[in-house]
Amino acid sequence: MKYLVLLIAVIAITGCSCRDERPTKPPSLQPADPTEVIGDELMIALSKAKNFHHKARVLRSEGKLDEAIASVREILSLKFPAGAPEAEDVRNDARALLAKLLVEKGQNEEAMSVVTEGIAQSQRESFFVANLYTVKGEIHEARADKLDAKDPANKQKIVDEKHAAIEAYDKSNAINTELQRRLMEER
Amino acid sequence: MATDDDDILTGPIPAPEAEASASERMRAKAFGELVDKTLAGRTPPPAMSADDRALLEVATVIRAASGNVELPAAKRRSLVEDALRQAVGTTAATASGVVPITRARRRWVPWAIAGASTLVAVAAVLMLWLRRPPVEPQVSLQERPPTYQTSRPADPLIGPIDKEHAADASSRIDAIFANRLDGYRDRRLALRRKP
Repeated sequence: MKYLVLLIAVIAITGCSCRDERPTKPPSLQPADPTEVIGDELMIALSKAKNFHHKARVLRSEGKLDEAIASVREILSLKFPAGAPEAEDVRNDARALLAKLLVEKGQNEEAMSVVTEGIAQSQRESFFVANLYTVKGEIHEARADKLDAKDPANKQKIVDEKHAAIEAYDKSNAINTELQRRLMEER
Repeated sequence: MATDDDDILTGPIPAPEAEASASERMRAKAFGELVDKTLAGRTPPPAMSADDRALLEVATVIRAASGNVELPAAKRRSLVEDALRQAVGTTAATASGVVPITRARRRWVPWAIAGASTLVAVAAVLMLWLRRPPVEPQVSLQERPPTYQTSRPADPLIGPIDKEHAADASSRIDAIFANRLDGYRDRRLALRRKP
């Protein structure tokens, strides 16, 4: 009798082990993660950004700098799909333009804060971040130019701003070089 | 008619120093032989007086209590086999139907069951060991949208931005929008074509 019980137990164990197949996941017929696919929300946001840029360009050409700045600021508040890489790129590009417009208007400090915010909020290095560093360098140059070089008190400040501009350009170049290398490797 | 010899319990008690009579000696000798035969395993005679039978039983008990009794070989074997049979779980056989355990038991049954169980267990272990790893379902590339239909960084599209073009965001957004529109449109059309 006990042998019979043993046999049943062995059969049960082997039966269980045979049935214990790893669950095979059926091939997904669903489309990829919706956030990865170009969808309506992304296209609407890009379309709006494009129109705000065109609007700003027209306004700038008419000398309406404040309105052009306002139009570019609208791009920063556009709602993009969560995690869309284009969002960061478009916003950084808008910040670069916005900073340039602010420099044009003589608002160097605000231009600097727009650029530094963009750099700080970026999740990855990109050509758009490199462009922000380029604009940052231009702002430093603009700051140096604004200082009265004849005033001995400003001498060191001018030197510092120029050095900061060089650092920003170097950083921009470094990012561009690294990104180009990565892109070449991917190809 | 009963004699004094026939009724030793109810007859007159002889004096302690009295000589045993011839009949007493014969009776004692006959009884001794009877006890010896009984203890040797022979069947006592069917005709026996009640007194003799009682004495014979007492003699048997006394002999057994002394510990020197040896059972006949057949009886011993029968008892041992009964005990073994009970130990392995079968009903005890009667003494008359005793068969040597080596022949009575089907010795191959437990071995066969144990062997079969072992084989099954070994087979199961081998199957688990040698089983090919489950093939991971390959997600067909056709199931995933092509890269140009996905949201992605615009770096490969735009490339490095010259200082002279730092503010040309308008032309860059045009390029990004047009590029993404291609993917968006193709995806929409592909979804419409699906039933």
